[in-house]
Amino acid sequence: MDKILVVQPEKCTGCRTCELVCSYTHTGEINPARARISVFSFERVGFSTPVVCQQCTSAACMAVCPVGAISRDNNGAMVVNHDRCLRCKMCAIACPLGATLYDYVEDKMVKCDLCGGDPACVKLCPSGAISYQDANAANFTKRKDYAARFKDVYEEVG
Amino acid sequence: MKILIDGIEIEAQPGETILEATRRTGIHIPTLCYHEAFGGQGSCRFCMVEVTKNGSSRVVASCTYPVNDGIEVKTSTPQIDKIRRNIAMLLYKRAPNSLFMQTLYKEYLCTENNLVEDPYEKCILCRLCVNACAAMGASAISTVMRGTDKRVATPYDDASAACIGCAACAEVCPTGCIEVQEDNNIRRIWNRDFTMVACEECGKNFATREQLAYIADRSKQEADADELRLCTNCRRKVLARKLETFNG
Repeated sequence: MDKILVVQPEKCTGCRTCELVCSYTHTGEINPARARISVFSFERVGFSTPVVCQQCTSAACMAVCPVGAISRDNNGAMVVNHDRCLRCKMCAIACPLGATLYDYVEDKMVKCDLCGGDPACVKLCPSGAISYQDANAANFTKRKDYAARFKDVYEEVG
Repeated sequence: MKILIDGIEIEAQPGETILEATRRTGIHIPTLCYHEAFGGQGSCRFCMVEVTKNGSSRVVASCTYPVNDGIEVKTSTPQIDKIRRNIAMLLYKRAPNSLFMQTLYKEYLCTENNLVEDPYEKCILCRLCVNACAAMGASAISTVMRGTDKRVATPYDDASAACIGCAACAEVCPTGCIEVQEDNNIRRIWNRDFTMVACEECGKNFATREQLAYIADRSKQEADADELRLCTNCRRKVLARKLETFNG
């Protein structure tokens, strides 16, 4: 794994370009409902953030898959082997971020696969809120910061 | 080792089956009971191919037959086509109620005969559901009885304590013969009623209690973790909202 996807909510403008480009890249149609990334905007306070698979180190989706259909590829992305998949949807229920989804149109489990090492959302994100950066200490810190917020969130409500 | 498939020479690995080697080349061998997750069962015989070695040929099930050096495989011959047509016809006569078999029956140009049909039957006994259940670690269903009475069921058709109501069996079933009924917050499958867990945010029933226990166990999460109380969509939404609160 040379590079990681870094999400910085403070840079997100809520334009949803990533949703569109994601669904177009993967499904050939402009349909945010079929995108692997979702943007949530809170206009009242002017806050937006993309939510996307973080390719967890110990991934819940992989742990619960009964047939080992989810594995890590050379780019560090957790990818689904659709031929092996049973569509039991356990991975979708297990994902703490809700980032593993079932696509009704194609009848398969879908999730961010980092576009095979060249994420389309990163290329078109106008504000740089999603970036694909070298997996060095500084960038890991950024990602940990993002993750830590999630963690705090859970502790807060827990 | 080198093997010849429909005149194309390919490199095969020891231990591989003919079906696996053939699929890599892009040549299609039709299958019914084969699933990549479980490997070949050799039970439907739909993947039969003709194997020739040292001048003598035989018909084998490609999903279980391991490759060996110097074999020549033919995936479609008049004899093979006839075998497939017969299987399609017999399975259709067994399960005429399934759209899957109706399509296959037409596709293989089967001819009408006077075998007795069971108009309600959908199951072709491919055992994919049994394998899926075993893969889930539940093994709640199995084939029962023998011969013409053979079918898939839970022990004595009772509600199985091992079943987690995940419906993986129904998902993997090619003919759609496993019934999953969802009524209000009850999912009924294999004669057992499961109480569905409703998403705390939107109220949608998204999983059975047993499914969540399975996930908590496998992914080492707390059984009552916050994320396991929300459906997939709300998990993202709630997460983003809490981030907002945190930022603000």
